[in-house]
Amino acid sequence: MPQWIVDLFSNFWVSLGGKLLLVALMIPLVGMAIGFAEMKLSAKMQYRIGPYFAGGRWGWAQLIADGVKFFQKEDIIPEEADRPVFKAAPILVLVGTVALLVVIPFGPSLIFRDLDVGVFYALAISSLSTIGILMAGWSSANKYSLIGGLRAAGQLIAYELPLVLAVVGSVILAGTMSLQGIVEAQIEAGYPYLIFQAVGFAIFMIATLAELTRIPFDMPIAESELVMGYLTEYSGFRFLFFFLAEFANMFTMSAIAATLFLGGYWLPGIPQDVLEFAGPVILLGKVFLLVFAMIWFRWTFPRFREDQLQTLAWKWLVPLALVNIAVTATLKVVL
Amino acid sequence: MTIDTNAIRHLSDAQVSVELETEDMTLNIGPQHPSTHGVLRLVARVDGERCYDVQPVIGYMHRGYEKLSEVRTYPQITTIINRIDWVSGYANEVPFIVAAERLMEVEVPERAQYIRLILTEMARISSHLVFNASYPLELGAATPLFFALRERERVLDLLESVTGGRFHPNFNRIGGVKPAYGSGSTTRKQPQDLPAGFLAETRTAMDKVQEAADQLEDLVAGNEIILARTQGIGVLPRDMAAAYGVSGPNLRASGVPFDLRKTQDYLPYDRFDFKVITASNGDCFDRWWVRLQEIRESARIIQQAIDSIPSGDLQAKVPKVIKVPAGETYVRAENPKGEMGYYLVSDGGQGPYRLKIRSASFSNLSILPWILEGVLVPDIIAIMGSLDFVLGDVDR
Amino acid sequence: MTSSPSDTETSPLKTYADRVAEAVGGTADVAFGTIKVRVRAESWVDAHITARDELGLVFFSWLSAIDWANDVAAGDPLREEIEERVELISALSDLTDGDMVLFSTDLDKASPRATSLVGVYAGANWHEREAHEMFGIEFDGHPNLIHLYLPDSFVGNPLRKAFPLLSREVKPWPGTVDVEAMPGQGGDEPSTENPEA
Repeated sequence: MPQWIVDLFSNFWVSLGGKLLLVALMIPLVGMAIGFAEMKLSAKMQYRIGPYFAGGRWGWAQLIADGVKFFQKEDIIPEEADRPVFKAAPILVLVGTVALLVVIPFGPSLIFRDLDVGVFYALAISSLSTIGILMAGWSSANKYSLIGGLRAAGQLIAYELPLVLAVVGSVILAGTMSLQGIVEAQIEAGYPYLIFQAVGFAIFMIATLAELTRIPFDMPIAESELVMGYLTEYSGFRFLFFFLAEFANMFTMSAIAATLFLGGYWLPGIPQDVLEFAGPVILLGKVFLLVFAMIWFRWTFPRFREDQLQTLAWKWLVPLALVNIAVTATLKVVL
Repeated sequence: MTIDTNAIRHLSDAQVSVELETEDMTLNIGPQHPSTHGVLRLVARVDGERCYDVQPVIGYMHRGYEKLSEVRTYPQITTIINRIDWVSGYANEVPFIVAAERLMEVEVPERAQYIRLILTEMARISSHLVFNASYPLELGAATPLFFALRERERVLDLLESVTGGRFHPNFNRIGGVKPAYGSGSTTRKQPQDLPAGFLAETRTAMDKVQEAADQLEDLVAGNEIILARTQGIGVLPRDMAAAYGVSGPNLRASGVPFDLRKTQDYLPYDRFDFKVITASNGDCFDRWWVRLQEIRESARIIQQAIDSIPSGDLQAKVPKVIKVPAGETYVRAENPKGEMGYYLVSDGGQGPYRLKIRSASFSNLSILPWILEGVLVPDIIAIMGSLDFVLGDVDR
Repeated sequence: MTSSPSDTETSPLKTYADRVAEAVGGTADVAFGTIKVRVRAESWVDAHITARDELGLVFFSWLSAIDWANDVAAGDPLREEIEERVELISALSDLTDGDMVLFSTDLDKASPRATSLVGVYAGANWHEREAHEMFGIEFDGHPNLIHLYLPDSFVGNPLRKAFPLLSREVKPWPGTVDVEAMPGQGGDEPSTENPEA
């Protein structure tokens, strides 16, 4: 690395500015990339072509065009809506996603900030989006939004528990809550934690789908019943925020899952200094696999009914996660 | 979409205590809604997720067919009645034409009857494929839509090749089916037969349709979430179905082996071998399943009909100006949606004196207030979709 | 089995029709494959109860009416003068052989009244609402006799023969012409011939 770049970025403010810029750019880019992947993959599964015109034969500019379209739309706020809450809701949902990027390790030294309580921070921040969704449902002054918001409240709070409990197994195995530390523990152990935490991984992925309100857990949106649920009254760039937040959240939650269970930026047999450059690529590869699985589920399954959803969370996932923790802890002490 | 501001104000003032006092909310589902098969409005009183009372409000598509048919001649009426149940266009014309032919005492040539039968069964396949496309979509699964509609294109292309229309064929004439190409009143009409290759293509298309039915069955019936959403939901006992006049696959899914194709003689169904599909539970899943099996049976009937179609004229000799002698008759047919019937009262003129149209979806829909009492809001959509009605059929 | 010629002489149908008529106390007509049993208005509900319980006609198909009138506002009038009345018709079927019977009764033309069948067949609810708004028939005992298709503020009974067809009032039917004349100008002579022959 040329010396002047190192000197420049050793200045706190410059490096801070650089990191902020990177985060701000990453979210829209990642959102657009995953959105495009969803369009093309779903088209393949449905015997269609997908985006075809914007940007030549591959249609890669489709989402850029969509973004521009959303920005230039009229900003409509319903008359009866609670204006400050209505405006703040999409921002909160997006903030919950962006803040997650801070703790994800992209490489041995490529992390925005390695917090000691990384896992705890990640799960806590991702709950901010829940509040944003509730605010959206409430403030829209629309019965469909209200029902969507009520469903979201029940569903998101119910699935927080399995989400949190599922990661405890990995934390126990690693002995640290820092995400960078968990990856290093997997490197040291020589195997990804998926091998012993398969149950935890499955629970984490199911709970992630529920937190993202993606099919099969999209009761709060339930397009064929509630028009658009809590999103009904949002249009223009506010809807764009929700839209971007969903895709970016898919990315960040998959990255967390990859870090906790799949070994993060590490692949067995790659030396440390190569990981500095190859790390992000490896991580993105794993994230892409998980995102592909999420997209696949979305277009295969119908949606659960609300009470079936709750039954799944409380009667199946939570006890299973608790058993997982007990078994992991016991084995860790014994072995 | 009316906003009940009082409800919102009450909700915001609600005192949250150990016993939560909740208030009922009146929710309008429709008339513009992704799932109501047209402009249907349901005024539902819901408490949280449970709905207590559902009143359908219909009539948004009332076009006044019965009054219109009093001022039209018989050939003109065939142009409008295929728009009653637009998903299965051809099947709406047949009972009316048979009624007129009965009063005129016209003998329809065998070949024409076979052609009518083939086209009716193709309409049935088309309608059931639309059901298979839209029902999983209402439950949230978007993919069967594309598979089912892709298969439907085969059938619609064949229909278009012979009748000229995909949805509104207008292919029946008094005394048979349309016998000629040629347009305008100046060209001399040469009686011609079906397009070359139509029968052979249809026969092979029916094999593909049966494969598609297998594929759809795997895709939908193998899906645990669909099973969880449809089994045990919306059970319709047979006596309620009979009292409300629910007919077609809905009735057969409740365990009643009643099929008008077996009991009536408006088309020569007794020459072909097909099963009457019934199921035992009467829930949403059974209604879906019966329709899927009926696609297969229809494909079999078409193949048998094509194998044994006789040659002959396409239309009997009828006078230039159709005047149907005085009389009254009721002809009922097994349409894809249920029993469709035309009660034709004729006074010897060029048009009917009174035409009463008994449409299947009207009776199928009338059971909604009874069947939707006390169900959850998502189940409203599941049950409504499984009844498979079309608003044009309901409102006429 | 083609569309059969007039089967007024068909024995099985006539035998069945006579059996039904005897059970409900009415007169049976069989024509063109259709059985019509006429009953008196007072025994309308009892006839249906008998049909449902004793004759196995459990399937309620439809209920509607015919407005027999000598002056019509739209369409062709009747060939011969008849006695004006509103004829209420209900169609019942059984669920085994497909035997179908139409029950018919005559109601007063000026203010037709009948007893509701909702207690016998629950499905009569909507059909009677439709008959009420289209013909003006009052059904005693119906729980919810409001408009079904038409807006609540609609006045009149559209299927009555005296009710005009609005589009015909605005512009008379041009007949069968190849090119319609502009309003006020001459054009092709409208023909009443059937173009499809």
